[in-house]
Parts: sequence; structure tokens; C-alpha cells
Amino acid sequence: MHLLLVGISHRTAPIDLRERVDFQTRGVGQALRGVAGLGSTREAVIVSTCNRAEIYAAADDVQRAEADLIGFIGTFGNVNHADIAPHVYKVADLDAARHLFRVAAGLDSLVVGEPQILGQVKEAHTVAAEAQTAGPVLNRLFHSSFVAGKRVRTETGLGSGAVSVSYAAVALAKKIFGNLQGRRVIVIGAGEMGKLTALHMKSQGVSHVTIVSRTMAHAARTAEAIGGATAAPWNELDAALVASDIVITATGAAAPILTKARVEAVMRQRRSRPLFIIDIALPRDVEAAAGEIEQVFLYNIDDLQATVRENLARRSNEVARAEAIVSEEVEKFGGWLRSRGAIPTVVALRQRFEAIRRAELERLDFKMSALAPEARARVDEITRLIIEKLLLTPTEQLKAIGDAERIGAYSEALTRLFALAEEAEGRNQAAASSTADDAPPRSNVEPFPRSKNR
Amino acid sequence: MNIVPFALYGAALVAYVWHFAQRNATVGRSATTLLVAAALAHTFAIGMETTKIGQVPVADPTSAISTFVWLLALSYLYVEMTTDERAMGVFILPLLVALQTIPALRPNVDEPAAVLHGPLFGLHVSSLLFAYASFALAGVIGLTYVLLFKEIKAKHLGFFYARLPSLEVLDRMNQRAIVIGWIFLTLGIVAGGVYAVQAQALPAEAGDPRVQNMTVLDPKIFVAFICWAVYSFELFAARRIGWGGRRTAYLSAVGFAIVLLNFVPVSYFLTKSHNF
Repeated sequence: MHLLLVGISHRTAPIDLRERVDFQTRGVGQALRGVAGLGSTREAVIVSTCNRAEIYAAADDVQRAEADLIGFIGTFGNVNHADIAPHVYKVADLDAARHLFRVAAGLDSLVVGEPQILGQVKEAHTVAAEAQTAGPVLNRLFHSSFVAGKRVRTETGLGSGAVSVSYAAVALAKKIFGNLQGRRVIVIGAGEMGKLTALHMKSQGVSHVTIVSRTMAHAARTAEAIGGATAAPWNELDAALVASDIVITATGAAAPILTKARVEAVMRQRRSRPLFIIDIALPRDVEAAAGEIEQVFLYNIDDLQATVRENLARRSNEVARAEAIVSEEVEKFGGWLRSRGAIPTVVALRQRFEAIRRAELERLDFKMSALAPEARARVDEITRLIIEKLLLTPTEQLKAIGDAERIGAYSEALTRLFALAEEAEGRNQAAASSTADDAPPRSNVEPFPRSKNR
Repeated sequence: MNIVPFALYGAALVAYVWHFAQRNATVGRSATTLLVAAALAHTFAIGMETTKIGQVPVADPTSAISTFVWLLALSYLYVEMTTDERAMGVFILPLLVALQTIPALRPNVDEPAAVLHGPLFGLHVSSLLFAYASFALAGVIGLTYVLLFKEIKAKHLGFFYARLPSLEVLDRMNQRAIVIGWIFLTLGIVAGGVYAVQAQALPAEAGDPRVQNMTVLDPKIFVAFICWAVYSFELFAARRIGWGGRRTAYLSAVGFAIVLLNFVPVSYFLTKSHNF
């Protein structure tokens, strides 16, 4: 069985095409059932975000599944095959695993290291599990991707540092004040910019927002729009500054409102409690020299943008470490995937042993006829346990081999030693003579014993 | 006996540095585990010495340093476990390792002098050692505060910004450590004063030249009073004149430098009253 990924993303497809192939709008569950209906895949998971639409599948015939899935994406998005085909990427086996692990780690995101994607990948797996289209291979693949994503998040700085101006301001405030709960914010200026910043601060848990504007009516209107904020007249600005921890200035004034002398006077009354001033006005509302005052942290829009740029640069420096973690996890998953190569041999071996056991029990049936039914059941149980115990170690040893070539060699040896090919032939003939409904579903085959205690 | 804790402190230092640089959670847990192991080994060593000489080994400077290191390790572990902040370890561990080299190199504990006994002596030494451990924590926290403060002020949010807790948290931890340290410093000085007066009044002990030198003019006692003055000023400044943040942090570092000076060079080379 092979792993297969077919999809489009912000890297390969323009937004209008991504919009048309947005699985989320019409329900991922329904799309998954559509994929399952194609008949060429055994398992499927769809990862659908605003930046990507990807179908992960496990299939025996990669070529056929690939063609079917591209066709499915085209039909689903109502796009001609010729229009969509150039934008679709097709990746198989460990390259598909690597792709998913990179996605989960945020390495393939528009903003590298963004944290939401891991949650979206988890959600995609949950939906597939509910729709019963995720099987053992994709379950393992996705769980490995969660591990890769989590490791990258905790072991590298890929997701650290705010990458937007407003988040940079909030992150800075948190680094100064610990948390924002119980903190007071004052917004100077009643414009749209000030309002938006205040709303953002409020969503971060600040206890109180005061709006101060030269026109009291404007301040009152903005305070009402924010909800839970109060307006203060211009002549109470200094008193409001003394009571606040964070100041956002966003007026259209031509000259600085907060001069160094004014801020110094405020700081004396504040008994040097820290004051974080965010000046988002242009021209600036706060004299640059005010930032020299002890316990005053002054950041203007350029400073915040510079920290964002630094964070982005730092994230890109972490990419190599994140890629190394992804490679490690791909290697681990590869080992597991290769160990599955032994499954047909193990299944055949177990069936061979079971067939011998049954044949022997049937042969001795006459001799055992004198035994009580409980004793016969015990004989049956004992012989079954002997086989279990005999097969346990070889099965585990075979499972532990991570090298496809060696697995092949061992399988070959086992096939010859126990004449498993004849066994398989016999089974095929038996299967051909029975109806498809009689055949046990493959997912019920459990080649590896669950524990040694069996 | 003191070599094993020394080696474990050394290993913990390496792990804390590694964790600070790489921020790997597993390395961080290993660092804490190593430090816990070091503290346990140290507890065992001090316990053995206590059994040997019949009291906690604090009477001579080397033993006092060992016990101080042990107290500091425990205090730091307490702070780490209650705040879930491991970043400070990289600053505390070098101090632990550097100080522990002294007992590790001079492992023998001598019988304490006859004059060093009684509850007042025990209270004096244990209070001061605990005070010094608190001041060591405050000094290190103060240092980290200054490093983070400078990064935020300079608008260059880099290495420490990503690794240290907020200024507010550091400031609060610093203040708390200073208050606790100051209470024990005061208690230790008072107990030492009463002990000295009592010892000087006893004819059997008054003949000891060290007891005769137990006055404010002795370097060790004099520097202890300077420490008390520095920390008292710090508490006053923080509460009455609005000194906080960077100034308090600097004062904590200066205060701890004086403590270290008193604890190592003054104890070994200058004092005439505490050279046991």
C-alpha cells in the first residue's frame, strides 16, 4: 500500500482557484465520502484551510488513485481538468509524509511558524476519523505529524515572536506587565486607528479602557462603540495618564502631545510604575526623548514594525532546525511504514500455522471423541496458545526491521521455508470461488499480536 | 564527600546552559533532575558531616559555604517549581558550582570550636545563611531584570526577551527575595549580637581572642552592617520613594556583591572574630 497526497496550496494555485476547491464550505465529511466512493483509495483525510486543499490517501494503485483524486478535485470545484491540473501537486510515500509534517509544523504556511495550522491538521484528522475514512496508515501518519508539529513548536523558535504590529504591541505589553488583566489602557485620539487598537487590547483582557479626545463628544462616541470603555475630557489627560499602564496615542495632531517634560511630571506622580507608550500616530504624538525616562517604554509604529521584521528573520533562522526535526519524524514514520511490508508474510505465516493446527485437530478428532466437551475446548485453546507463543518472537523481530530490503529477504526466506506461496495460492483459489461479501475486510486482519500476554 | 554534589552541580550547569540556548523541554527537565540529584547528594553529605561532628557543619567558613550552596540550591528549586520558570537556573548554577569548588577542594570538616554552641549561635548562622541565599537569588533575578530591561528599552527584542519572564514578574520575585533576606539578616545580626555579649561575659570564653574581637569594627561584622544598610535602603526606596525596576535590580546586584565579599575573602583573610 502506498501513501499519496494530491492538493493545491497558496504556493501553487491562485486564490480564485483555491476558493472554488474549498472543501470546508460544502463540508469535508461529504467530500471524504466522495473520495471513498471513487474506489481507488483505501483511506483518505482532507486538510482544507484558506491556504490549502489537500487529500491524503492510502492506495494500492498510486497512478489510478492519483488520476481519480485530481478528477475529484476538478469535479468538486467545477473546474476543467486542463485548468486545474497544472496547479495540483502529487506526492507519494515518504515525500507525502514529509509534506504533511512540514504543514503541521508551520513550515509550509504563508507566515512561517503560524500556530493555527497544527489545530487545523488535527481537526482534519478528527473529521476523517468520524467519517471512518482514516485507517491504520493515515492514523499513524497524522499522529506522527502532530508529534512533529509539537516538537517544532517546543524545541525551536519557529513560532516565537509576534509577526504583526498589533500582536507585537500586545506581546511587548505582556513582557513588561506579566499579564494584561487588571491593567488600564488610555487611548488618546478618537479616530478609527485608536479604536481598533483599544478593541484589540480589550480582547487581551485589560480591565479598563479610557478614551481621551480634544472633542469630548468624539471620545464618548468611540467609548460607546468599544463597549465598557469610558470617555474623559482633554483637560483630564494627565490624571488619566497617572492612572494608566498602557498609553496608545493616535491623534492627527501636528505637534507632539506628550512632551518629555509632561511625561516626566506624570511619572513622578506614578512613583515610577512602568508606563508603556505605543505611538501609532503619524506625525508622532510623543516626543522621542520621552523614551529616555526611566520606566517609560516608548515604541512607535516603526519600532513595532522593526520588531516584526526581526521576528520574521529569527523565524527563518529556525527553519533549518525545524526541518531537521521533520526529517527525524519522517525517518521514524518510514521505519513504521516499511515494517508494514512484512504484513502479508506474517498474515500468511499465521494462516499456515492455523491451517496445520486445524488439520491436526480434525485428524485427531476421532481419537478425541471420548473426551468431554470441556477437555476438547481446552485442547483447542492449548494448541492455539502454542501457536501464538511460537509466532510471537518471529513476528516482533520482523516488525522491528526498518529496512525494506532486509524485510524482503526475510519474507522470501519465510515464504520458501514454510511454503507460504502455495498457501497464498490456495487462499486465492478459495477466495475466487467465494463471493466478495464473504471475504473478510482487510482491516480485520491483525498480523501483529497486541501483547505478549495473549 | 563534597565531590559528588560538586560534579552533579557541574552537570546541572551544563544542562541549564544547554536548555537556555536551545529551549529543549527534555533538556530542561534533565537539568532540573540533575539539580535535584545534586541537592540530594549534598543533603546526604551535610547529613554525614552533621553525624560526624554532632552539629550542622556551619562553624568554619568552608562548611558555611557548603551549607550556603545547599540552601541556595533548595531555594532556587523552590522558586523554579513554584513559578515554572527555568531560565534563572543558568545564572544561579555558575554561582553554585563556583562556591562548591571550595568545599570540594577542602573536604575535611573540623570539630567546631568549643565556644560555637548553643541555640543563639545556631540561630545566628542559620538565619544569615538563609538571608544570603535569598540575597543571592535577588541578585541573580536583578541581573536578569537589567538584561531584559535593556533589551526592551533599546527596542532590540532578542535573546533574553525570548527566554526570561516579564519585568513585572522579575521585579516582584526580586522584592520578595529581598524582604525575606532582610528579615533573616536582621534576625541573624541580632542573634549574633546577643550571642557575642553573652560569650564576652563568660570568663571561660572571654579569653578567646576571637570572642574579644566580636565588635562592630571587625571587618566581617562591619560589612554585615553595610549589607543591612544597603538592603534596608532598598526596601525603603522601593516603598517610600518609588524606586522600582532597574534601580532596585542594580541595588540587589550590588548588595549581593557585598555579601559575597563578606562571605569568601573577608571570612578567609580579614576577620579576626569569625576565623574559626
